[in-house]
Amino acid sequence: MAIKVNRRMMSAIFLVGISCGLVVTAQVSAVQELLAEYGREGAGKYNAVNGEKLWKRVQVDAKTGQKRSCVTCHTNDLRKPGKHARTGKLIKPMAPSVNADRLTDKKKIEKWFHRNCKWTLGRICTPQEKADILAYLANQ
Amino acid sequence: MVSSKLRVWDLPTKVFHWGLVLSFVAAWLLRGDRYLHLHVLAGYLFFFLLLFRLYWGLAGSFHARFSSFIRPLPEVWEYLKKATGRKAPRHLGHNPAGGWAVLLLMSLGLMISITGLLTLGVEEGHGPLAGILGREWAALFHASHQALAWAMLSMVGLHLVAVFRESVLHRENLPLAMLTGYKRTDTKARAENVQPHAAVALALLGVMLGFSLWWGRGYLLHSGNEPYLPFSGPMLSRNALWEEECGACHLAYHPSLLPRRSWNRLLTQQENHFSEDLYLDAGTISRLRAYAVTGEAGNTVTEASWKIHNSIPAAKTPVRITETGYWKNKHKDIPEKLWTRSDIGGRHNCTACHLDARQGWFEDGAMRIPFNEKNMTRIM
Ligand code: HEC
Ligand code: HEC
Ligand code: HEC
Repeated sequence: MAIKVNRRMMSAIFLVGISCGLVVTAQVSAVQELLAEYGREGAGKYNAVNGEKLWKRVQVDAKTGQKRSCVTCHTNDLRKPGKHARTGKLIKPMAPSVNADRLTDKKKIEKWFHRNCKWTLGRICTPQEKADILAYLANQ
Repeated sequence: MVSSKLRVWDLPTKVFHWGLVLSFVAAWLLRGDRYLHLHVLAGYLFFFLLLFRLYWGLAGSFHARFSSFIRPLPEVWEYLKKATGRKAPRHLGHNPAGGWAVLLLMSLGLMISITGLLTLGVEEGHGPLAGILGREWAALFHASHQALAWAMLSMVGLHLVAVFRESVLHRENLPLAMLTGYKRTDTKARAENVQPHAAVALALLGVMLGFSLWWGRGYLLHSGNEPYLPFSGPMLSRNALWEEECGACHLAYHPSLLPRRSWNRLLTQQENHFSEDLYLDAGTISRLRAYAVTGEAGNTVTEASWKIHNSIPAAKTPVRITETGYWKNKHKDIPEKLWTRSDIGGRHNCTACHLDARQGWFEDGAMRIPFNEKNMTRIM
């Protein structure tokens, strides 16, 4: 009898543990899987320091002469909400430590890399650049 | 000639008269989109007073009854001839011309009320007559409502001139008599005080006050951060995917704000969306397209969608709401420097000024230029 109860309790604890873990795992797995994919696409070892540099690098737009960087919309402090430079709409913080929804969906990350690199840098980012930025963002 | 004072106008008649004056003036001053909610309140009170007066014309005290002051037309003619020669005989109640003026003013008032209700129902989709006819009737009702209001204003002008003339001619203050209810009389005339009917007048005032409080309850009871919206529009279609994908960089504009062909073009040209590459996959695009075309402006579910739709020439396919004729016309008075103000951020940012932009309604009375302490700009 007593053993049965213990088993049930253990499986309950196990399940609760799993579901808590899932939230964190989603983030880790989305980032890990993407990093692996970027590796297969030719990226070398990712480097968060290079990622940070790229994140903050200012690029002058050829057509408009505007100065643009990832910081333009996401602000210098990744824990704070940003503001869309073109529309004024509020953007939730980028740091996964304050916004658990961040970096949990591969497709979404890829979509925004595509959009934002094109607008900010005038071209899409290379797998190496994406890997570096992702490594930088994931640690915030 | 001994003269004494006699009560001619009972209290309900006085409440009617001055109530009608106030509600007419209020509705006139509160015309236009911004104050529609209060304009409509004034209109309801105006209408209610007129309906009451019809009843009081049958059941009221002697001088208030139609039978006492509606005279046959030949008699009116005789009176008018004498009046132009400054020999008009004095009347205790309404004179024969005045009696018909009362009828004419009341008919105009009733027609104004009815066309007002029709405009509210057909153009705005509110009130008891909401949606009884297609929106293509709206312009007719709106124009008649305005024309009738001008006609009534002119009649009021004539009425004021006549009252002034008669006051001078008979050396008595007629407006004051309508306030006190009393007029001077000579004992020769066999006349009696009318009943004051205070209870009826109190009930009349009570109903109007109660209705006004009920109408304005939203302003009084409303709490919370969101501002009070006096008019709520129809339930519009919602779509989570649309909110997510098209609400990421700006307000997810409701599909009712542009015609089908515009949404088609916007979604087809997604890789160059105002120099953004939306990079949406084909499946997402087709689901967004399906939602957009069912809710498009051609369905004219709101006044805004109907008017935007009508302002777009058939050969044009605008990709901006802000380039449609109706939108431009409605916002032409807003100075350029307001658009670039940091808390507004541009024409596309409807939410800055329209409290119900998210719902897609764009109702009258839900728009305001946000107050900015720095440059104190406020245009309305
Ligand atoms: C023009 C404004 C703008 C600029 C510049 C910009 N972003 Fe973004 N970014 C956004 C918006 C808006 C979102 C969506 C935020 C949301 O979902 O709440 C976003 C989201 C993202 C996401 C997805 C995060 C998630 O939720 O998983 C990534 C990754 C990203 N941006 C990277 C970048 C990079 C890298 C740059 C610079 C090359 C950059 N952004 C520059 C506006 C911008
Ligand atoms: C990556 C950011 C982004 C996303 C996602 C996005 N838009 Fe836009 N949209 C913009 C920008 C930037 C503008 C131009 C704003 C300006 O300067 O007026 C714009 C403008 C518009 C306008 C014109 C507004 C006006 O001036 O009347 C419409 C309509 C519009 N977008 C529809 C959509 C739809 C539909 C979707 C979803 C499929 C969508 N947008 C998704 C960035 C975006
Ligand atoms: C700077 C503030 C501001 C912004 C931003 C703005 N509007 Fe307006 N809008 C107004 C004002 C003020 C009026 C009233 C104009 C009048 O009645 O004279 C108005 C009127 C309207 C009306 C007519 C309402 C009616 O029933 O009379 C519509 C529809 C409308 N706006 C739609 C929009 C849409 C859609 C957007 C975003 C693409 C937008 N507006 C952005 C201020 C703004």
